[in-house]
Amino acid sequence: MLKYSIRRLLGMIPMLILISIVVFSLAKLMPGDSLSGEIDPLNTNPEYIAEMREKLGYNDPLPVQYFNWITGFVQGDFGKSTRFKTPVFDIIMEKVPNTLLLGITALVITYIMAFIMGMYSGRRPYTLGDNAIAGFNYVMLAIPSFVAAVFAIYIFAFQLNWFPFAGSVDILAEQGSFEYYVSRMHHVLLPAIVLGAMSTASYTQFLRNDIIENSRKDFVRTARAKGTPMKKIYNVHILRNSIIPLVTFLGFDFAALIGGAIITETIFTYPGIGQLFLESVTSRDYPTLMALTMLLSFLTLFGNLLADILYGVVDPRIRLD
Amino acid sequence: MASSTTITQQKKPERSMSPWQIARRKFVRNKLAMISSFFILLVTLMSLSAPFLAPVLSPLPDISKVNISAMNIEPNGEHLLGTDKSGRDVLTRLFYGGRISLLVGFSATLIVITLGTVVGALAGFFGGFIDSILMRFTDFVLNFPFLVFVIVLNTILYGIVDGLWVLIMVIGALSWGGVARLVRSKVLAEKENEYILAALSIGCSPFKVITKHLLPNVISTIIVQGTLIFATMIVIESALSYLGFGVPQATPSWGNMLSSANEPDVLQGKPWIWMPPAIIITLTILSINFIGEGLKDALNPKSLR
Repeated sequence: MLKYSIRRLLGMIPMLILISIVVFSLAKLMPGDSLSGEIDPLNTNPEYIAEMREKLGYNDPLPVQYFNWITGFVQGDFGKSTRFKTPVFDIIMEKVPNTLLLGITALVITYIMAFIMGMYSGRRPYTLGDNAIAGFNYVMLAIPSFVAAVFAIYIFAFQLNWFPFAGSVDILAEQGSFEYYVSRMHHVLLPAIVLGAMSTASYTQFLRNDIIENSRKDFVRTARAKGTPMKKIYNVHILRNSIIPLVTFLGFDFAALIGGAIITETIFTYPGIGQLFLESVTSRDYPTLMALTMLLSFLTLFGNLLADILYGVVDPRIRLD
Repeated sequence: MASSTTITQQKKPERSMSPWQIARRKFVRNKLAMISSFFILLVTLMSLSAPFLAPVLSPLPDISKVNISAMNIEPNGEHLLGTDKSGRDVLTRLFYGGRISLLVGFSATLIVITLGTVVGALAGFFGGFIDSILMRFTDFVLNFPFLVFVIVLNTILYGIVDGLWVLIMVIGALSWGGVARLVRSKVLAEKENEYILAALSIGCSPFKVITKHLLPNVISTIIVQGTLIFATMIVIESALSYLGFGVPQATPSWGNMLSSANEPDVLQGKPWIWMPPAIIITLTILSINFIGEGLKDALNPKSLR
């Protein structure tokens, strides 16, 4: 297992190098000039600009530029944002907690909802309740996340006034106070539900089918013959077996959450990584854009790796080496 | 599809049904899939006939013209679904938007299926060096954070080529990885059969073996996958257009129409502007998914119904 994990981790390096080359080329191909934030915007003297370009290395051959960028990058120097005039690293770090909170809340909600609905459906298959849940899940799987987000804002934020429709925290709340944290949770809840809706639906159906399948197995019959209460059979014996495949989804979720976060954060104007990414595209903030693309690529790779490793951890029948 | 042994005999034993006939019968019996098919057909027909339908249904058939006198009208007898903030008829735009959304979805699906099938079939059939090169490449494409690269690529190519085709090519070129993997695995299993060996031994060229013998046996998988990808492509188009990185704003597409919901004022107070595209996108995706499920069931020789 350890050997496999290390081998896979090392295998990520060539992939990351390739991606970094692609990212760099894309940034160079993008329209506009990628002058860094270090040039004084008020000084439009062509000589000054030419001098600064030379000094900042924009006239170097492309391979040299790439090499300079990547060496800085691996040392944590992501360059300076052209929009905020501050190091990209600080800007990203400022937004990371928000996205993390959103992602984790979405995951927690997904798992809780999927467990409740899946266990209910699995115990009472083909009943009215099960069919209602299945119908609901079909719609949830079909509805695109941005449409779901728009409807959620319209219904829960505007019509019912249950949730705020934008931002990550109430501006009046004092940082560090109890109200501050409550306000943050209040703001994150609606986007998190929307972000997790699709996986909730697929988890629920998966868990349901798995429980039904397991309930026909021999160990269930043995337990029943011994007189174990049905409740205990379902909640302990069957559930333990049905949880296993669900765990492996965690890795894939990682990648899905990244893509989903870009859309959800933008619609809810929630200040996180996804929103920062879109803003850096529209405002041609190349250093931020490159750093974020690398970061998101890395996280996707990591998520896929996690899925593969978890697969082996929870199911000993799968040999990874 | 693969084996003819599972074909069920009819009452009259002289002539049994072909696999395609069986599949068709199973599909027609599936109510949900049939209703969905009719819905998709209806949407397609309405979109295709938009230039003829528009003058009949609305007093403002021109979708590109801004009408200051008819801004933000609520749905009434004259404008069945009201007008948007530039005074354009929502129903007319919905029809025209369908043209774009379906066109993008369909063309991108075509690209994805073609690329995926070619790469998957070549990798699976030849194996060895070609396989590992092609599959490395596939892994590479699959590991890209899709949305991130689509947005960046679209920004670069915007203005160089006509906006719509940029979008189609970019999402097509970045989404074929899954199909390639699927086709490869199917081809790998299928090529072990004796009839492939027989075909090769009588001197069939690899090209002929792949097109005449292998692909017909994996086509059912590709068709089902293609249906589901069609749904995904429509979602991607509308999501990108919604974010402002898809179809150019001047062209109506379902995603573009929905993007007016970005303004809290429209979202809160003028639901007739954004609700129709939102509902039609969801219903279209739902229908396509049901059709996909129906096809999967119908084309599976093991499912008896």
